[in-house]
Amino acid sequence: MSRELPTAFAIGEALRIALAGDPDVILMGEDVAGGGTRPAGTDEAGGILGATRGLIKEFGPERILDTPISEMALLGAAVGAAATGMRPVVELMFMDFLGVCFDPLLNQAAKFRYMFGGKARLPLTVRTVTGAGMHAAAQHSQSLYWITSGIPGLKTVIPSNAGDAKGLLLSAIRCDDPVIFCEPKQILFLSSEVPEGDYEIPIGKANLVRQGGDVSLVGMGATVNIALQAASQLAQEGIQADVLDLRSLQPLDEEAILTTLGKTGRLIVIDEATPRCGIASDVAALCVDKGFDLLNAPVKRVTAPFSPVPFSRVLEEAYLPTPQKVIDAVHELF
Amino acid sequence: MATPVAMPRLGMSMKEGRVVEWPFGLGTHVAKGDIVVIIESEKTEVQIEATQSGVLRHIYVQVDGTVPCGKLLAALTDSADEAFDADAFRTANDLPDDQARTAPRAASQHPAVSPKSDLPRRAVAPAARALARQLGVDVEQVPGSGPGGRVTKEDVEAWGKRAERLVEVSAGVRLEVLRDGQGDPLVLLPGFGTDIASFAPQVRALAATHQVVGIHPRGVGASDAPQAGCYAVATAAADIAALCDAPAHIVGASLGAAVAIELALAHPQKVRSLTLITPFVEASARLLAVVDAWCRIASEASIQTLAMALLPWLFSEHTLSDEAACQRIVRGLVPSLAAVSAPALRRTAAGLRAWSGSRGADLDRISAPTLVIVGAGDLLTANDDAVAKRIAGARNIVVEQSGHALTIEAADRVTQAIADHLRAHSA
Repeated sequence: MSRELPTAFAIGEALRIALAGDPDVILMGEDVAGGGTRPAGTDEAGGILGATRGLIKEFGPERILDTPISEMALLGAAVGAAATGMRPVVELMFMDFLGVCFDPLLNQAAKFRYMFGGKARLPLTVRTVTGAGMHAAAQHSQSLYWITSGIPGLKTVIPSNAGDAKGLLLSAIRCDDPVIFCEPKQILFLSSEVPEGDYEIPIGKANLVRQGGDVSLVGMGATVNIALQAASQLAQEGIQADVLDLRSLQPLDEEAILTTLGKTGRLIVIDEATPRCGIASDVAALCVDKGFDLLNAPVKRVTAPFSPVPFSRVLEEAYLPTPQKVIDAVHELF
Repeated sequence: MATPVAMPRLGMSMKEGRVVEWPFGLGTHVAKGDIVVIIESEKTEVQIEATQSGVLRHIYVQVDGTVPCGKLLAALTDSADEAFDADAFRTANDLPDDQARTAPRAASQHPAVSPKSDLPRRAVAPAARALARQLGVDVEQVPGSGPGGRVTKEDVEAWGKRAERLVEVSAGVRLEVLRDGQGDPLVLLPGFGTDIASFAPQVRALAATHQVVGIHPRGVGASDAPQAGCYAVATAAADIAALCDAPAHIVGASLGAAVAIELALAHPQKVRSLTLITPFVEASARLLAVVDAWCRIASEASIQTLAMALLPWLFSEHTLSDEAACQRIVRGLVPSLAAVSAPALRRTAAGLRAWSGSRGADLDRISAPTLVIVGAGDLLTANDDAVAKRIAGARNIVVEQSGHALTIEAADRVTQAIADHLRAHSA
């Protein structure tokens, strides 16, 4: 049985399943339980996007913890809890706030297993809202997953739809290593099919969501939908596109990328992050390094420009990748 | 054999040059490396060496004449008494601004930029290089159909298969012949500047009942492209006759239809039935202008630009109003147009011009059962029964909402018409 749900609800469902199934799972974050100055459980906000709404009533204040507005304290406490046997799920309201809690992630969470000879586990999940598209301006709209993807010891995943969000979040919570779970703004309130019950989507595996053969469109998070829209328009012109949803940015499913490249010889990667040192560049480098003899055309990157995210609605629309930008890039390859 | 001496392009900025001196008199022998002509450009005199030995047979530009780069200056022939037609040679070789031609080396001490250094490095996709290595193909010889002329994997694949398709039609000239299907032979002759891919929908359908024989004329695809003279329509017809052991059904489009007409007149025993798609016997001024523009764009711009420039001439308003269809057509045209080099286009164009008007009075001698198919929206050749009514018993079909590129634009209609015609004349 499955039905359509918005991604934010699918995330709430995954949290409920994880909490019910494992007493070590706890939630921590700003307004995840109560909200404002009200006592926990009386008028819960459920986090900035309402994903945790209702959980305080089911699981109580021992497991659903409101924290002060101090991401440093929040992450520091969560890393400590994870190192000492709990399985915390933290809500970092926007990924833009990564800077204020970087040390617990970069130097503690990411290093424990390595520095203790593999004997330490750090089963921490950080849920965080990423990306532009909601007119939230330069400090609440960034796609910074390229930073966490570049740190050995952290895993980073990003779903493209509600059903994947549920399965990927369950995998992240049950993983014994720290996982950054990105929630792209543009898909949070889009509905798609969500299977009932408990299921996991493996971390580190990409998903071929459309079969073509002429060109490969590689997306992640919100850009998978953009790739799919571009692919259906291209089909009318007679160009059949493979669309690959990366799902996991670190580890990266190199085999899936090289497989689709081998099939088509032409690859475009679509990333709503800025172009320098990013996932798009990484995928392009992989293609040139390990897939050189497969290339029948240059690898193209469709990304945001190298600029802060603009607040103006018009400029923000111009800033983001669009199906037309993808189609234009495809036309350069034939 | 005659060799052209042309005004060289000695650097990017050079547009024209003036003839200063012909050191050798007419009729005298010039050895390879001798100074055949001295020219002046941008206040600098440059001595031009002969690239081949020969007799200075004809001078087209006298001393003090100023002409654009690429313009024919003189002709050298192997011997003093061999047959030589100065006007015909000019038609085939008077190619101003021919960037594809390698300019002779400047022998003087004056600095001159080698024309080769102006050319960008040839782009080859890594996948194409890898496949070329695997097949043992010299990738430098493969024509590129990708953006900016990049050689793609598909280009190497096609090139790798060419050897098994080459058939000798006369001494030293081999044509590429693509065969598909079993049955009575059905010969397809593509139009000006395109390869057999322009018949792709017809090949797919007709190969079920016939042996479809696609022939690439001189200068198209992997067929040989002799470096002298024009590619005359009569020669093309003789080439086809040499390839046909038995009478065949002949289908030609545009210039291919001209070749088919020539074949039906000069070699009637080879023709079982005739299908003329958008034929012409007297080329219109517009057709000739488009052919000239085609040659020029092919030598100066990318194949993609050429395809886009041709689109409004080859297709009807109906097709042009569908943006996705146009994208699809341009992409399909690119490899087909890339199959013909700029110099081969010019030699073919010269052949087309020379043939135009030469057979108008002979059409009533065609005895093969003939079908003519034209597009009602064709801008380049007749869009009515002008050709059909001059051939005894010919059937004429006018396809609505179609332009000149009928085999692409009205693919199914054309396929069906050919199939019906073949069925009616296969007994």
